[in-house]
Amino acid sequence: MTFEGVPGLVETREEHGETTLVVDPARLREACLHLRDREGFNYLSDITSTDYLGWGKRGVAGYYGTEQGRDLNYPAGLGVSVASQGYGRLPRPKPKRFSVNYHLLGLRDGAPRVRVQVWIDDGETLESVIPVWPTADWHEREAWDMMGIRFEGHPNLRRILMEDDWEGHPLRKDYPIGGEPVRFSEEQ
Amino acid sequence: MAIVQRRRIYEGSRIPSPIPTVLTTPSELEGSADIMRINFGPNHPSMHGVLRLIIDLEGERVVGTEAVIGYLHTGFEKTMEHKSWWKAITYPERIDYVGFQNDELVFVLAIEKLLGLEVPPKATWMRMLLCELNRIHSHLVFLGTAALELGAISMFWYCFRERDQVLDLFELVTGARMHTRYFQAGGLAEDIPSGFFAEAREFCDWMPKAVDDYEALIGRQEIWLERTQGIGLLSAEDAIALGQSGPVLRASGVDWDLRRAQPYLAYDEVEFGVPVYPNGDVYDRYRVRVDEMRESVRIVEQCLDRLEGMQGEPWITDDRKVVLPPRHELHTSMESLIHHFKIVTEGYRVPEGEVYVAIESPRGEKGCYVVSDGGPRPWRVKFRAPSFVALEATATCMHDALVADLIAIVGSLDSVMGDTDR
Amino acid sequence: MAVNGEKPKRLRDYNIHSERVLMRNKEPGVFERELGPEDLQDKLMLTTVEKAVAWSQGNSIWPATFGLACCAIEMMSIVSSRYDIARFGAEVFRSSPRQADLLIVSGRVAHKMAGPLRQIYDQMLEPKWVIAMGACASSGGMFNNYTVLQGVDKVVAVDIHVPGCPPRPEALVEGIIRLQEKIKAGVPPAYEIRGVAS
Repeated sequence: MTFEGVPGLVETREEHGETTLVVDPARLREACLHLRDREGFNYLSDITSTDYLGWGKRGVAGYYGTEQGRDLNYPAGLGVSVASQGYGRLPRPKPKRFSVNYHLLGLRDGAPRVRVQVWIDDGETLESVIPVWPTADWHEREAWDMMGIRFEGHPNLRRILMEDDWEGHPLRKDYPIGGEPVRFSEEQ
Repeated sequence: MAIVQRRRIYEGSRIPSPIPTVLTTPSELEGSADIMRINFGPNHPSMHGVLRLIIDLEGERVVGTEAVIGYLHTGFEKTMEHKSWWKAITYPERIDYVGFQNDELVFVLAIEKLLGLEVPPKATWMRMLLCELNRIHSHLVFLGTAALELGAISMFWYCFRERDQVLDLFELVTGARMHTRYFQAGGLAEDIPSGFFAEAREFCDWMPKAVDDYEALIGRQEIWLERTQGIGLLSAEDAIALGQSGPVLRASGVDWDLRRAQPYLAYDEVEFGVPVYPNGDVYDRYRVRVDEMRESVRIVEQCLDRLEGMQGEPWITDDRKVVLPPRHELHTSMESLIHHFKIVTEGYRVPEGEVYVAIESPRGEKGCYVVSDGGPRPWRVKFRAPSFVALEATATCMHDALVADLIAIVGSLDSVMGDTDR
Repeated sequence: MAVNGEKPKRLRDYNIHSERVLMRNKEPGVFERELGPEDLQDKLMLTTVEKAVAWSQGNSIWPATFGLACCAIEMMSIVSSRYDIARFGAEVFRSSPRQADLLIVSGRVAHKMAGPLRQIYDQMLEPKWVIAMGACASSGGMFNNYTVLQGVDKVVAVDIHVPGCPPRPEALVEGIIRLQEKIKAGVPPAYEIRGVAS
C-alpha cells in the first residue's frame, strides 16, 4: 500500500510492521479526508498526544555514552555499542515538542492500519477532524485537557477528565506527578 | 468476507451536530416551562459506576443529553511513566476492572512487540484461555447488572453464581480472583497448576447449560422484549463514524471482530463464531453478548485440548535480559546472578520505538500505544479505551428515548468507568 | 499504654467481647487503643436500653450504593449468593443515602469525586458508619499522584479500613462483622470519636 497521494506527506516510516505517515500540520484535515475517502480508512481508533520534553536528556546507562561525547569503551558517534545489547545509544531526536498521532483502521479484509503523525510546538493549534470522523470529539477534548493542544473548529473544547477549573495540563512532562510523600514508620 | 450488512435501521445519520456527543434540546422547546434539567449524578443506583448525565426532560421524554465523565480519573498514564516496565504491568489491569486480563494482555503484547520477543506457545494458548474466561466474566457482569437495572433482579444472582465459578478458576491458576498479574513480558509468571484442567472442563460442561438458563429466564420474556427491542437504535454507518467497536458494532450489523480480522495470540488456530445481529438496538446488543459467551466456551475447550498436550513445556521465554532466570540457576551461574540483579534493580530496557497494539476486549477494540526511549521506564503509554468511545454514542442512541429507555441504553453500551476515565 | 503504672481496663473487663472469640488473649485491640487510655466506662454506652439499641443497629446495617471502581465488583459479589451479606443483616443496598447507615467507599476516589462523596456522606442520617474498602480508599493505594485522594479519611471519618486490592469478598464480610461487633460493643461511630463534622 503506497501513500504517495496523501497531501502534506513529509515522511513515511515502517517499524515493527506499522506504517507511520508524518504529515504537515497545516494540511492535516486534507490528509485525513484523503485517507478516509480514497484509501478507505473509515475508522478512527485513537488520537494520542505525546510530550517529548526532555527526550534523550537522561543519557544512556552506564558510563559508556553521554551527550557530550563518547567514553573509551564506546564506538564513535551514535552507533551501536557492542557491550550494551544495542541500547547504548541516545534515542533519535524528535523534530518538535509534541506529536499527535491518529491511529486509523480500514474495516475490510486485512485490517490495514496506519498512523498519521503531526509534530507541533507548544501553543500551535491543529485543525479538528470531527468533520471527518465524529468520534474525534472526545479524543480531542482529552488531548486538550491532558496535554494542552488546542484544536481549531472543535465545537466543545472543554476539560473532560479533570475538573472544569483545573489549572495545568497533567500529562505534560513538566507537570509534577503529585501525590503525597510516603513516610515510613521508622522515620522520626 | 462481507464486512457490512447493509440494513436501513434509520435513514441518514442521527449523529447530533454541531457537537456529535451532545444531544441539544430543540430550540422551540428551550426555555419553556416543560423542560426539566436533571442531573443523573455520579452516584446512582444503576451499577455503571461514576457516570454523570445531564438530561433535559420534557415529561418522560429525553430531549437533551450530555455525558460528563472524569469522576474516576486515576492518572494511569502518568503514573506508569514513573514505574519500571515490570512494575507498570500491574497498572493496566485496574483500568478496565471487569475485563482485566485483556488490559494486561494488550500492554504485555505491546512490550513484546517493541522487544521483538517470541513467546512460547504454551503461554500464548494459556493467555488466550484466560482472556476468553475473562470475556465470559465480563459478559456475566454486564448481563447481571443490566438485567438488575431493568428490573429482572433475579438474573443478578444467577449470573454472579457463574461469575464466582470463573473467579475460582482464576484463583486456582494465579492466586488472585481479580487483577491477577499473571502475564509477564515473555510469557506467564508461573506454570499452570495441576488441578486446573479438570476444573476448567467441569466449568465448560456447566456453562452452556447456564447460558440456556439465562435465555430461558429473560430471553423471551415479554417485559424484557418490550423494554429492549427497538430502543437505542444505532445504524452501521453511525456506529463506524462514532468509532464503536465490539458488541455494539456487531449488533448494528457490522461483521467486524479483531480476533478474526487481525488475529493475535492464536485466534487463527481456533474455531469460533462471531455473532452479528442487524437491528442495532439494545436487544441485539444483549443477544450478541449472550452468544459470545457460548462461543467463548468453545474457544476455552479448544485451548484446553491444546494445553493438555503441552504439559512440561516452558511457559516463559528464555531471554535472560528480560525474564528472571530460574532460581536454581542462581546458585551456579554468575551470568544468571548478574541478570537477576539487573532486572530486579533497574528493570529491563525496551528499545526505542513506538507501537500500537489492539485486541478485542469484551467491550471492543482495546488499544495500547507505547513509546519507549530505550530506558527502563515507559515514556508514554496511552490506552484506547472502548468504553470512552462507547459513551460518545449516548447522544445518538438517545433520540426519542424515555427515561426508562435511558437506563437500558446506557447499560447496553456496557461502559466501565475505569476504562473511560483511566 | 499503661497510665500511672496501672494497666488500662480492657473491653473484656466489662464483659464485652469486641475481638473475635478465638483471640481472647490478644493485646488491646484497635477499639480500645482508639478510645484512649482513660477509663472506658465513660465512653461506652452500657445501659440495657442502649445495648438493645446497639444490638439492633448492628444487626441491620444497610449499606448505601457507592461503588466506584474494581472494589465495587467485589462488593457486588458479597450481595451474590455465595458470600451472602443478607445473612448478616445488610439485606438491601439502599440507593438513597437518606435511608442508608453504612457507606462502603469501594474504589479509588478522584479529586473530582471527593465533592459528591462528601455530599452523599452528609446526606446520610446519624448514626452512620463508613468502611474504606480496599487499598485505594484507605490510603490511595498504588496511585500516588495528582488526582487520587490519598485515603478517603481526608474527606469522611472512617470506621473500618479493609485492606486488599481488591479485598476478597470474605475480607469485606469480615470488615462488616467487625463493624457489627464494634457497634454492639457500644463504640461510637468514627465522627464522634474524632470530633469531626458529621
